[in-house]
Amino acid sequence: MIDTKKQFKWFSVPQWRQEQDYLREMHKNGWKFSYVSGLGMYHFEKCEPEDVVYQLDYNPQDDTTKDEYVQMFSDCGWEYIQDYVGYSYFRKPATQMNGEEEIFCDDESRLDMMKRVIKGRILPLIVIFFCCILTLLTQNHLDGIAGDIIRIFMIFITVLYLSLFASFGYQLWKYWESIRK
Amino acid sequence: MDAHIKKVYVPMTETSFYILLCLREEAHGYSIVQKVEALTNGQIKISPGTMYGSLSKMEKDGLIQFIREEDKRKIYIITDLGRQVLELEMQRIERLYRNLQEVQ
Repeated sequence: MIDTKKQFKWFSVPQWRQEQDYLREMHKNGWKFSYVSGLGMYHFEKCEPEDVVYQLDYNPQDDTTKDEYVQMFSDCGWEYIQDYVGYSYFRKPATQMNGEEEIFCDDESRLDMMKRVIKGRILPLIVIFFCCILTLLTQNHLDGIAGDIIRIFMIFITVLYLSLFASFGYQLWKYWESIRK
Repeated sequence: MDAHIKKVYVPMTETSFYILLCLREEAHGYSIVQKVEALTNGQIKISPGTMYGSLSKMEKDGLIQFIREEDKRKIYIITDLGRQVLELEMQRIERLYRNLQEVQ
């Protein structure tokens, strides 16, 4: 029987680099990534410890372009693992590389990926935030305790959302800075 | 040529330059990767994410066009607009090289 294990791990939308490092570290420790599901349940199976580089791309494809997208990566030696919330997961053993290899080789394409993440994952959240939450917050004219509870709840959600956006902004800014250097 | 194309592609990235240079003959992404590696003695190895993104962008901007698909690989060729942009870029690089020689 194959020895497997699962681990819950939370990475927010702009933390794909941390996720890559995590998967590489697990493989180095003899746990090969199988798949991720749900809210962040990572499944692994036991393997020989090996240095394998993991990379995430955010470039959602439709059925007509999926095959050629995956083909391009596999031609270059990157094994496609799965898609998860818009991200595609790839890996390649370090022994098959000349030095350190990534799925992007220039800063322009790294920034392009960041823009796709912002457009595909973060903008929709901001739109939802402004449409639903702010509307509810300002349109609540209930009196008494019920109104107060809703107001407090909505303020709580608003603060939560704003801190989430602030953290996204900070993460993306850090990424941008690291590229600019 | 509109201002947007000029702004984005003149000057262009090394990746874009090599893609346009190779696509004067029809080719698919991975064959461009191999060709560039051979041309530059292994110094430039275009990564698949960069290649895929660049091809999509250049196709959208009308610099290259899709011809057909073979074994799940899309084959492209340069367009007239692509040739014009490449020509501008070549003139720019030639000027750089000329000036380099003059100053030395």
